[in-house]
Amino acid sequence: MQEVRRKFVIPGDIVVEGNSRPLVNVHKSGNNIIASRIGIAEVGRDGAKVIPLSGVYIPRANDIVIGIIKDHSSLSWDVDINSCFSAHLPAQDLFGRDFSPARDDMSRELSSGDVVSARIATFDRTRDPILTVQDKDLGKIPLGELLKISATRVPRLIGKRGSMIQTIEHATSTRITIGQNGLIVVSGKNKDGTQLAIKAIRMVEEEAHTSNLTQRIKQLLGVEDNVQIDSKSRSGAPIDNDEGHDDSMLGDKKSVQSESESLSRDQ
Amino acid sequence: MTQTRSLIDENGIRTDGRTGNQLRDIQIKVGVIKNADGSALIEFGKNKIIAAVYGPREVHPKHMALTDRCLLRCRYHMSPFSTDTRKNPAPSRREVEISKVIREALQPALMLEDYPRATIDVYIEVLQADGGSRCAGIAAASVALADAGINMRDLVSACAAGKVDDKIVLDINDTEDKEGGADMPVAFMPNHKQITLLQLDGKLNSEEFIACLNEGITGCMKVYEVQRSALMQKYFGNETELKE
Repeated sequence: MQEVRRKFVIPGDIVVEGNSRPLVNVHKSGNNIIASRIGIAEVGRDGAKVIPLSGVYIPRANDIVIGIIKDHSSLSWDVDINSCFSAHLPAQDLFGRDFSPARDDMSRELSSGDVVSARIATFDRTRDPILTVQDKDLGKIPLGELLKISATRVPRLIGKRGSMIQTIEHATSTRITIGQNGLIVVSGKNKDGTQLAIKAIRMVEEEAHTSNLTQRIKQLLGVEDNVQIDSKSRSGAPIDNDEGHDDSMLGDKKSVQSESESLSRDQ
Repeated sequence: MTQTRSLIDENGIRTDGRTGNQLRDIQIKVGVIKNADGSALIEFGKNKIIAAVYGPREVHPKHMALTDRCLLRCRYHMSPFSTDTRKNPAPSRREVEISKVIREALQPALMLEDYPRATIDVYIEVLQADGGSRCAGIAAASVALADAGINMRDLVSACAAGKVDDKIVLDINDTEDKEGGADMPVAFMPNHKQITLLQLDGKLNSEEFIACLNEGITGCMKVYEVQRSALMQKYFGNETELKE
């Protein structure tokens, strides 16, 4: 097992001295690796990085995001993805390759205000991100409560192998779709369950950096500790509560993917 | 600038009761404005200043966007009630200039090339002024930028030093600024040991200049400690070490 050293850092702090590979949210200055964000620094064999605790969403290719349709041109929709870059969803993505702006009415598929889950097909900072809905479970989200949390809290909300979000979903009988950009859609059969799920999500957002959070969420939801779904998902990580948030901050993209897969099974 | 009365008594005590190399009390509170992406309130002696950071976000008007880096906009503003006599709320020549020097003091610490075509807006609102408000504003803005999660090379700390009664003193207050011999605001990146702002109002000979600059940098290091502990307190509470 690889040894990972962790510490709290603010911008300018030395993460590690000497030869180490700078990964994310760090930069090299002289012979040192310096943190460029507030967060938890991790130094492992593959390099040094900082898991940030604040900041807006910066798109990455292949992220699953939730966006709100703002407008459309003749060839694409403009989508607000809660970032400093507005995204484009090409009309061909929904209408197919024989899309014709003269023949097809774009507002038939998506109109302003609609919420979609999409994957970022391409993004490299020189141009705005291009979205695609050509994947399983992506596309228009017909109903649910839309929430916005800080994008840095998303991995914590998902938890280790989806443990946190599964706990919330099972306890409140809701279906929660999470975008890497911090937008979340909660849909449930009854209003009380939805409200409770929203309350739990807000609590995760506010207390993301504290330990024993899973325990407090369970208390809020009135879930007993040894519920089957949890014991199953936590089997590989029995001490989830003490240091879980550091690892779970990392379990991002895959967890969203597996989350959306589990949604598809439900559907 | 000519000094008309003595501002340091025979025991070396200044008008507000401090010794020559003593800073005023500094308190920083992080995250005071919920609507902003990052914010900080600084109390630097009698100065009370709020800094709020928005961004990176889309640039409006769009023609101002830069293709290769992020646009940094700063607005330093004094509230009408921040001074003894009402200050006209319209931006004055002084405020426009201070906005510019603050922007240039913060810019070297920010990795603006990470957010091309976007903007970061920094608003610095002086609620109560008592000399050294640009330095306090820079310190607060730098904490607010870190709170907003913007990629930074280092924090920026700022503090003024100056000459009063022919002595080099740290952290000039309003009376000393107006009646003293010289005022030198310094902004400094403590980990990189780089100066990002150096201004001088008054006359100093070369020895005094060096002494004053060193005093200013010492002050910046003390301000940095307060900035650091404020950020640590907000994000990690009283925990200083990660429990493994």
